[in-house]
Amino acid sequence: MEIQEEMATTAPVLEITPQLTRARRSQLRIIFDRFMRNRVAVAGAIVLIIMTLAVIFAPLLTHNSPTAIDLAHVYAPPSLAHPFGTDDLGHDEFARALYGGRVSLAVGVSSMLVAIFIGVTLGAVAGYYGGWIDNLLMRITDVFLAVPLYLIVFVLSASFSDGSIKSVVFLIAIFGWMYAARLVRGEFLAIKEREFVLAARTIGAKDFRLMFRHILPNAAGPIIVNATLLIGSNIILEAVLSFFGFGIQPPNASWGSMLNNAQDVMTNDPLLVYIPGLLIFITVLCFNLVGDGLRDALDPYMTER
Amino acid sequence: MRRYIIRRILQAILLLFLMSVGLFLLIHALPGGPAAVIAFNPHLTLAARQALIRRFGLDKPLYLQYFYWITAALRGNFGFSYVDGQAVTALLGQTFGNTLELFGSALVFALILAVPLGVISAIRHYTITDYLITVLAYFGISMPIFWFGLIVQLIFGVQLHWLPVVGQRTYGYNLDPFDTFIDYLQHLILPMCVLSLAFIAGWSRYMRSSMLETIQQDYIRTAKAKGLGPVATLVRHALRNALIPLVTVVAIDFGSIAGGAAVTETVFAWPGMGRLFIDSLTARDYPVLLAMLLLSAVVVILFNLIADILYAVLDPRIRYS
Repeated sequence: MEIQEEMATTAPVLEITPQLTRARRSQLRIIFDRFMRNRVAVAGAIVLIIMTLAVIFAPLLTHNSPTAIDLAHVYAPPSLAHPFGTDDLGHDEFARALYGGRVSLAVGVSSMLVAIFIGVTLGAVAGYYGGWIDNLLMRITDVFLAVPLYLIVFVLSASFSDGSIKSVVFLIAIFGWMYAARLVRGEFLAIKEREFVLAARTIGAKDFRLMFRHILPNAAGPIIVNATLLIGSNIILEAVLSFFGFGIQPPNASWGSMLNNAQDVMTNDPLLVYIPGLLIFITVLCFNLVGDGLRDALDPYMTER
Repeated sequence: MRRYIIRRILQAILLLFLMSVGLFLLIHALPGGPAAVIAFNPHLTLAARQALIRRFGLDKPLYLQYFYWITAALRGNFGFSYVDGQAVTALLGQTFGNTLELFGSALVFALILAVPLGVISAIRHYTITDYLITVLAYFGISMPIFWFGLIVQLIFGVQLHWLPVVGQRTYGYNLDPFDTFIDYLQHLILPMCVLSLAFIAGWSRYMRSSMLETIQQDYIRTAKAKGLGPVATLVRHALRNALIPLVTVVAIDFGSIAGGAAVTETVFAWPGMGRLFIDSLTARDYPVLLAMLLLSAVVVILFNLIADILYAVLDPRIRYS
């Protein structure tokens, strides 16, 4: 009896606590929770979602057409019929903001997708194979990086672009892939020496499969952050292009070309300058906030607070 | 260390060579090529066109044209502008000084503001001050420069009438030297502030993270343990080491001088190289464009090289890696 009592007091007691029986969170859920804790980033994400929905459902939000000219009501102040007023030709500014937003956001996101596709492919090939392929690809990346961005984009758009959305998207994407390529190459160089890659190779996985099925998902974090921030800079680049008359041409309109228009009539109606620029500013700010929030959420070395 | 520098210089020269070839091919790939003015001119007869092409050596094989161009360019001869026939180097020389004034003053102004802001932000991190400065930095990074320029023009020029809106000086008046200088300063202030905003935002955040990393080092703790006051530890130990990464960033950003001010100069009608570029672009003035593209690339590569070498000079740990 004594021995049993002794054993009962000295043996470790396993208490079944809620922590032990709680369901395990998936990796995605962990990242989501960490992102949610960053309230500023969440606010930015909410604003972006609202903005995206607004420009997608533009026909539901306004009955005016962005190209309807009404010379009797130029420079009208904001009213119920025209929430943002009208511009120098009587276009409804609210409708132009929404439909222009479609173009600006579409260009920003699509050029990011193309640029990331190019960058990830080049970076993966360079990082995985190493040697002279790596050297060659990195030299090419250096050449693209050394070119002054705005100058070369201006020259190319003045000569090759026809003002359509497709050409502007490709133009912007051609000079946006370099950072992603460098990033992916660095990640690949580090990850390809890990044991799980060696294990996969031992059981016969080919290069392509190793690159895109095994290594790339582990490098996804920094790529996603870079992609989000890239959307912001692409939107600004497209706005600058359109502002100088080199990017989106009429009949398409984007926030940048609206600013180009507003610059000429600045003294007549300052509101035309404030609205498109403010929209660009808020959008880019939100993308930057979300991108930084994602960076903190995806960083595996950040301790849970 | 010497090997590192030599290696970097050789890489830079190779890069410059590749760049020159790439830009040369680009100009030839544009519609009409360098002979666009000749090709698209409706007043020229076919014979005259061919005579002009032969005269400019545009019918020679491509590699020969490149050779002529690069040897002339290395000697400083970039040809003549299509618009008014001036030597390209003369045009660039006129405008370079103006851009240097604008860009240089913006850089200095940005440095003066960014370093203290970053340091304060780091010392008082996670307090309200840090939060406010970070918010301002985010605003600065996300702000489209041309919109900020327009807003500033609207508020300070059009609505408040405090400062002139465009240009470098007021024409039509013969002022004495002191008033001319004041007038020049008045014209300089707005574009300088607009241009420096992006730099202030980026550099202050960079300075903050660099300073945060430095403060946590052991030698700072040793200095404090030995009784060194907060200001002295800051200035004599932490600041010197935290500034090193920032120096390289500033050097690289200075490299974007050749094309970086294009937007600001156009919005404020400042007679600099950026505005020359936009005007030449609209006029399809290819000699000027090609020269400016090449020179901008040279400056960028040069300052990247300077930044790397400077980093190695300032931080001995880099040399031995």
